[in-house]
Amino acid sequence: MSESRQVTVSKKGVPIIAIVALAIVFAAGLFVVGFDQGHIFSVVYGEQAYVDLYIHELTHDMRHAAGFPCH
Amino acid sequence: MRTSLFIIIVLASGAFAGLIHGVTNLVIVEPYLDQAIGIENQNLFASGEEEDTLEFWIEYEGYRSWQKSGQVLAGVILGTSIGSLFGIVFALSKYSLPGRNNVKKALVLAGIMWLTLYFIPFLKYPANPPTVGDTDTVVLRAMLYVLFIAVSGFAALGCYKLSKKLENKKKIMALVGYAAFISAVFVVMPNNPDKVSAPMDLVDGFRIVSVIGVSSFWVSIAVILGLLWNRFDPEKIAKTNSHS
Repeated sequence: MSESRQVTVSKKGVPIIAIVALAIVFAAGLFVVGFDQGHIFSVVYGEQAYVDLYIHELTHDMRHAAGFPCH
Repeated sequence: MRTSLFIIIVLASGAFAGLIHGVTNLVIVEPYLDQAIGIENQNLFASGEEEDTLEFWIEYEGYRSWQKSGQVLAGVILGTSIGSLFGIVFALSKYSLPGRNNVKKALVLAGIMWLTLYFIPFLKYPANPPTVGDTDTVVLRAMLYVLFIAVSGFAALGCYKLSKKLENKKKIMALVGYAAFISAVFVVMPNNPDKVSAPMDLVDGFRIVSVIGVSSFWVSIAVILGLLWNRFDPEKIAKTNSHS
């Protein structure tokens, strides 16, 4: 007769895939809020994105409040 | 460790702490931003670039409302971003941090990261409201700011690694080493090249609420991630043992 039992074990160590995924989120989010000057939307809108500065204007108040150089 | 659960609680805690940061800023920072932008508007009227008309103010109010909503959205994005870094460092250093539960451990780590990645760089390159800052120097200022944060962060990491190799009584030397190194960097790195032309009571008040806002994020991220880690513990894995 066989019986199965569920036990909980603690496994230490951080998966590399999680570190890579979170590092990408970190870099992308930081760039969007802190440093974008039209770069991201220029992929779609070309040079006009550097004039419109849509993300810059949208994140303007947080840039100042969080200490990033804004303009 | 359950990878997806770990990522989810890190992203959720970052986003929620960022939301708290954004809402805090909305309440305490926005009045200073409005005051500073008001000075910019007066300068525009004085130079003739804009006219003080009803149409201007209608457009301005609409634009500012949109920017204020962006404050909260940017808070969530920035919180998720910085929270991701915090989650990585917390997971890697959890067993080295003092504290009997995850909330206390997270608060200790948040304190260290607040000091080394935010407050010390802030002392060198403090936040400025609109009206302060020359557009021509923004790239230089961004590079200096990021460089200082990176140097401070890696110096703290290096001193932590050094402290692990030192005996208990000598661990304080790592802290002294960080303090000496970052003090030297503080002196050597160039200052913000822009002159502060806005009234100093506005600038000082803005800087104080800016620090309170960012600090609200670091406290929030520590408490939220610590609580979520206690509740869901991504390191626990259920295994089924079969035997006859």
